[in-house]
Amino acid sequence: MTAKAGGNTNQKPDEEKSEKADVQQGTLALMILKTLDSMGALHGYGIARRIEQTSGNLLSLNYGTLYPALLKLEQEGYIASEWGLSDNNRKAKFYKLTRAGRKQLERKAQDWVQTTAILARFLSPEGERT
Amino acid sequence: MRALRAWLLRFGGLFARTRRDRDLAEEIDSHLQLHIEDNLQRGMTPAEARRQALIKLGGVEQTKERYRDRRGIPFLETLLQDIRFGLRMLRKSPGFTAVAVLTLALGIGANTAIFSLLDGLVFRDLPVPHPGQLVHVAAYSPDDSDSGLSLPMYEEIAHDQKVFSAMFSWEGEGISNVEINGSLTRGDVWPIDGNFYANLGAVPEFGRLIGPQDVDFYSSTPTQVAVLGYDYWRTHFGADRNIVGKTIKIEQTPFTIIGVTRPGFSGMTADVPFEIAVPFTTEPLIEGHIDVQKHLQRRDGLWYDAAGRLKRGVTLEQARAQLESLWPAIRTATLPTSPEQRARFQGLRLKLVADSTGSSYMRGRFSTPLYVLLGISSLVLLIACLNLASLILARAATRSHEMSVRIALGASVWRLGRQLLTESVMLSVVGALVGFALALWGSEVLSRFIFSQTYSVPAGLNLTPDLRILGFATSIAVLTGVLFGLAPALRIFAEDPNAALQQSSRSVDHGTGRLGKGLILTQIGLSLILLADAGLFIRSLEKLLHVDPGFQTQNLVEVQLYPKPGGYKNLNWASYDHQLTDEIANLPGVQSVGLAHMRIGGGNTWREPIERSGTRNSTVMADFVFARPGLFRTLGIRLVRGRTFTWEDNDHAPDVALISESLARTLFPAGDAIGRQIHFPNEPQWKDVQVVGIIANASLYDIRLHAPPTIYLSAIQHGDYSGWPDLVIRTRAAPDRIEGSIQQAVQSIGHEYVWKIRRVSANIDESLIQERITAMLSAFFGALALLIAAIGLYGLVSYNVTRRTRELGIRLALGAQRGAVLRMVLRDALVLTLIGIAMGLPCALAATRLIAHMLFGVTPYDPLTLATIAAALVIVGALAGYIPARRAMSVDPMVVLRHE
Repeated sequence: MTAKAGGNTNQKPDEEKSEKADVQQGTLALMILKTLDSMGALHGYGIARRIEQTSGNLLSLNYGTLYPALLKLEQEGYIASEWGLSDNNRKAKFYKLTRAGRKQLERKAQDWVQTTAILARFLSPEGERT
Repeated sequence: MRALRAWLLRFGGLFARTRRDRDLAEEIDSHLQLHIEDNLQRGMTPAEARRQALIKLGGVEQTKERYRDRRGIPFLETLLQDIRFGLRMLRKSPGFTAVAVLTLALGIGANTAIFSLLDGLVFRDLPVPHPGQLVHVAAYSPDDSDSGLSLPMYEEIAHDQKVFSAMFSWEGEGISNVEINGSLTRGDVWPIDGNFYANLGAVPEFGRLIGPQDVDFYSSTPTQVAVLGYDYWRTHFGADRNIVGKTIKIEQTPFTIIGVTRPGFSGMTADVPFEIAVPFTTEPLIEGHIDVQKHLQRRDGLWYDAAGRLKRGVTLEQARAQLESLWPAIRTATLPTSPEQRARFQGLRLKLVADSTGSSYMRGRFSTPLYVLLGISSLVLLIACLNLASLILARAATRSHEMSVRIALGASVWRLGRQLLTESVMLSVVGALVGFALALWGSEVLSRFIFSQTYSVPAGLNLTPDLRILGFATSIAVLTGVLFGLAPALRIFAEDPNAALQQSSRSVDHGTGRLGKGLILTQIGLSLILLADAGLFIRSLEKLLHVDPGFQTQNLVEVQLYPKPGGYKNLNWASYDHQLTDEIANLPGVQSVGLAHMRIGGGNTWREPIERSGTRNSTVMADFVFARPGLFRTLGIRLVRGRTFTWEDNDHAPDVALISESLARTLFPAGDAIGRQIHFPNEPQWKDVQVVGIIANASLYDIRLHAPPTIYLSAIQHGDYSGWPDLVIRTRAAPDRIEGSIQQAVQSIGHEYVWKIRRVSANIDESLIQERITAMLSAFFGALALLIAAIGLYGLVSYNVTRRTRELGIRLALGAQRGAVLRMVLRDALVLTLIGIAMGLPCALAATRLIAHMLFGVTPYDPLTLATIAAALVIVGALAGYIPARRAMSVDPMVVLRHE
């Protein structure tokens, strides 16, 4: 533990390559924002489940990585948190999108759509010909 | 913006960590509960549900750790952790911490204080714009200390020169009677020209300053205006802003105040108060000359100081070359009329020197002692650093067990190295902080100590601690901390933690090794150097304090007299002198009275070359004294042969002289001095002076000079040159009892008043201030160095004892005598001390040679001093070894052996 604390700790633990290569860099934050956008206030476990479900269980997410990502978003002011009660009456911390978060989601989603469109054109056989 | 906000929050994350940690634990706990419930619903057993949830999460502690990394700033957090841990370690060994911090602080503080003083006195530029452009210009004769310019010279130079953007001139200050609102005070009056203020960038606090329109070199009716210095205005006018237009009188001449300069302006001096400035064209009026022009345009006096501001791109050498090429013509054009003076002025040369620091009264007196003290205090800093190094090394050795344990528990080597570094750098930084406080206090105390013993208080002297030197000293200390903090960290690298762990913490055997011993030896050697210097300074001072000046100083006072306004007008000096000395002599308690034209024992010497009349190559340098009847009797200087001066040796009688025995021996080796004639090559007006008596040797000017060849002229024959005399009085009882009656007697005659009454012994004390400061401070630093070295030695020996406890226990168990153990440990300490002394001695001899010129009455290799110092070191070394040796002796073999 001591060794870890002293090592050159990555400032973006949510994007650590060694963790889950399955979740691409920067995409986890976008997924969280989108999840909160469509689901409203939700606790960490709920977010994790929802992301897994939405991805059709194609994505294997290490739930632990979710929390630093949530903290980062909160520090950046895109989400806010509050303690509340879950459906089955358990105390849990609920996250919800702020106005800045909603804007960020729009921006990032648009970027992402554009990027994937461009990449799709590159990768498709027709794109290569033109 | 977002990034900044995130960083701020992360910085905030460094605080209130307990609450945040609890929050995090709760969140993860709730996460797990939710997950477990889900899993249970899917039909898992409770144990399996929990296991799966944990696997999915990826470990509770790992998650928390990653979360924390994101929450705060890991680097800072580790640092804070290190600092907290370091503080705890330092608190655990308060002795070590106190010694390390204090020695460093003293080293840093002393250096900073002394350098700040030296800087303020010697290096700091005048507080004027572009001081580097200022160049002082003066004419001087190679065999005379006199230097300056006459007004005609100045005008020629200022007119012809092409290297300065402007020139300005002034006259050295004179202390004059100043009448303010009818009451009489004294003030430093500076005669200046019209360019002075403008060239020094002076700005009025209010009113205006003296400008070219106020100073007309050719007017017979000069403008009588005055500008006051800020401090003088505050102290003498109560900071009254309505004084412009008011009149003050300087030696009865009225001047109109036109303005006050801003605080901090000190003209061209570093430490003489700039109290009152007047156009120098008014100076003849102040001195009572009626024909202003005749006095101003005199060609036979080098009374004016002059300076120029170099034009952009012109170097000092270029300026020198240009002015020197002009000089012969200027010199010829401004020669005085009298033939003797012409000859003297023909030999004058021109001197240009950079003048960015201005003139200073203190600089000449104190710069050498301060340089020496700076050298000494930097050695102290060096010793302090060595001490810190050996302390850190010794500690690191005792902690190698702890380090091994930590490595075995998974600490990375880098992490440990960082920890050690943090600790030693912390020591250095704390030492530097305390050192800064010490420096603030030290330069204050030091300057107060120095200036308390001098006449003038340096008003303009800036003595704030110098940040450059503080930074320098601190970085040396930090560097030491880093280097020696790193050394043990490096050793951890090379070490196999298993091996270290298997050994007991007590029997680990690295020692501080040769490095540690070397450090101690160096400390002992260095302190020997410092102590040798200090010892020699103290011996010099002691010799000086017991020197026989050739006259009795007991109950001898000097009474400084100043004229009342107009008090010297139409004064018949001869009858006034009679009257004054008679009145004083009749006072009860006065044993004898005389008149002197010098500060007896003040340390400043007037020397003149003398030759036997009719010869050209018999030149002898001699101290020159103007004397009056009664002086020798009052001082108690014995007449050896011939006669002393009488009131008949006045300006109607032929010139006569008295010479000291030492001068008689060198000037007239045949022993036929009386009746012979002498002359003064530099003062042609005194020729064919007849020697009428020989008197005993006395060091009237400077008691450092033993039996100086001295010549005395009768002052009443040379009224134009000798100036106004002061009273010298020998009293029967303590002099302060009759001060009042002396003042009254002088006052009642009506021409003069008493300015100051000082004991001659106080003059002598003051003249020895350099020696006293050097001796006291070097003794202080020497003792400090000795103390630090002793602590270092003690630390080393006692560490070795701790390390060898087991060995000692076995020795004792096998039948070693306790006395033998004590001797063994003590011998180690003494051997180290002796080697240190042997190493230090040659260095000390080299060092004392450097200070040889500052010694009095002792040689730089004075065996007595060196032997005493070495003996003191041995005793201290023995003491430092004895305490741990006692502990070694009392080791209980049973306890030690059972412990293993």
